[in-house]
Amino acid sequence: MERESECRTAERGGTRSTLCKAPSTWTQYKTLLAKDLKAEFRTKDMVVSMGIYAFLVIVVFGVALSFARPGAEFLEVSGGLLWALVVFTSLLGLNRSFAKETENGCLEGLLLAPLDRGVIFLAKATSNLVFLVLVEVIAVPLYWVFFSSFAAPAETGWLLVAPLVLGSIGIAGIGTMLSTITAATRGKDVMLALLFVPVIFPLLYACVSATTCALVGGDVFADGFLTSLALGAGYDVVMILASWVLYDFVVN
Amino acid sequence: MNPILADIYSTILPSAPYIIAAYALLWVALLAYVLIIFRGTKKATAQLMLLEEAVADQQAKGE
Amino acid sequence: MSSKTLKLPEAGQWPDKLVAPALIAGAVLTTIGFLMAFFYVAPVGGATVNGAELIGDVMVSQKMLLSQKIFYFHMPVAITSFLALGFGCYYAVRFLMTKNRRFDTCSRICLEIALLFVVLTMITGEMWTRFEWGVWWSWEPRLTTYLILMLIVIAYFVLRSSVDEPERRATFAAVVAIIATIDVPICFMITRLIPSSIHPVVLREGGMSPEMGLCVGLCALGMMLVGFALYRARFNQVRLTQRVDALKETLDDER
Repeated sequence: MERESECRTAERGGTRSTLCKAPSTWTQYKTLLAKDLKAEFRTKDMVVSMGIYAFLVIVVFGVALSFARPGAEFLEVSGGLLWALVVFTSLLGLNRSFAKETENGCLEGLLLAPLDRGVIFLAKATSNLVFLVLVEVIAVPLYWVFFSSFAAPAETGWLLVAPLVLGSIGIAGIGTMLSTITAATRGKDVMLALLFVPVIFPLLYACVSATTCALVGGDVFADGFLTSLALGAGYDVVMILASWVLYDFVVN
Repeated sequence: MNPILADIYSTILPSAPYIIAAYALLWVALLAYVLIIFRGTKKATAQLMLLEEAVADQQAKGE
Repeated sequence: MSSKTLKLPEAGQWPDKLVAPALIAGAVLTTIGFLMAFFYVAPVGGATVNGAELIGDVMVSQKMLLSQKIFYFHMPVAITSFLALGFGCYYAVRFLMTKNRRFDTCSRICLEIALLFVVLTMITGEMWTRFEWGVWWSWEPRLTTYLILMLIVIAYFVLRSSVDEPERRATFAAVVAIIATIDVPICFMITRLIPSSIHPVVLREGGMSPEMGLCVGLCALGMMLVGFALYRARFNQVRLTQRVDALKETLDDER
């Protein structure tokens, strides 16, 4: 209800633009972001469902690894498993983020308002990023707790925060754009996965490499960590710019 | 044939099926696409003829 | 339907005159390339054998690799697929700028051709992989890049079939085509550049002899011409179908 009324005020602001000064881009961005966050923290259903899902994925990993022998080799796999967890969880969240907008016609309201489409994109991407980071803050320590019996990570292990941040930014950026596209298609969940996984692949590859480097440590860390991070950052910049530019066409 | 020569040529026969398969499948796939185009054209032409007949019928009725 | 200032691609325009010559030239060039690959270019040597033997007038001390002959068609189809994707992206940009659906048709057909050649690359590559490395699949950078490219192009067609509204379908498809074209080089770069300490990169022999280069060049040119001819043929067919459908609709309306 709150969101709908906000949409309406935004509309009204548009039709009476002769009377009042249009708010600055920064204000627009803040309002849109606050709208998403407020709506989420009232019900908390997205973060809660993503969290539970992440936990279930961890349980499935536990089953899958139940006959694996503990040892240092596990470190080479664990980075990849962690990213599988992040990808599946973020897919769930992205699917829901736009389903909500289309359900109660909020998107039309937003589009009627004289807003720059880029601002809508940035606000939506930021809110997706916030939710993803919130879930990661819970899920990654949980992952560590459950799998620390296999092998202890190297001292550089805490540096996996860097690829996590980079990866989350990229996932939120490109995912927002793709979920906007798929929200208007038949069979949206499958469609999003079908587009999201191959498009995100390079980022995933870079992040898995950086995470593994951080966990294994030693020579491997020195060899690959920074290169992988730089490549992942390059992907983020290029893809987010592309999504930002193309978003205009997608929502019209 | 001496053993060295046999060793030099040793991978040729086992690899032949794969090479033949690669080239054959390549041309088969290209041909399949050509067939798709051909069938599409045929279908469209047939429909065009039907349309022409329909138009001729209409004109005959109009007169 | 068309605006005066905008020149739209249409069936029967000048490129169509080039289709027959292109097809013939493509067929001739690929045939020459094929014959050259097997009868002119010296086979590439693999593992060294114990000793050496005189074959013709050269001393050979390596196993001859017949499987390498796949390369002479494998690389040309790969190049053609990238080219087709590039043109698909160009037409997608044109579509987003003009909102004219003709460009959407062009873009779609380019992606179809891209998919065709990607599949060809995968087929020839698979056969080579199977023999050389003894496995059907390995996560080698180039293989991975092509897998991703194929997945995105397939996703493009699935997306097209799951949007009903033509205007929206065209826009979404154009956006995905552009994203795919940006993503694939990045994927290629990242899988190559990330150090091999974790992901083994299969290092292959570097460099090509002049004869090999010539042979690959001929095949590549031939394949591109074949690709162009296929594109125009498909474009003419799709345009014909579209015109018939439009005619059907107008006739239905009159009744």
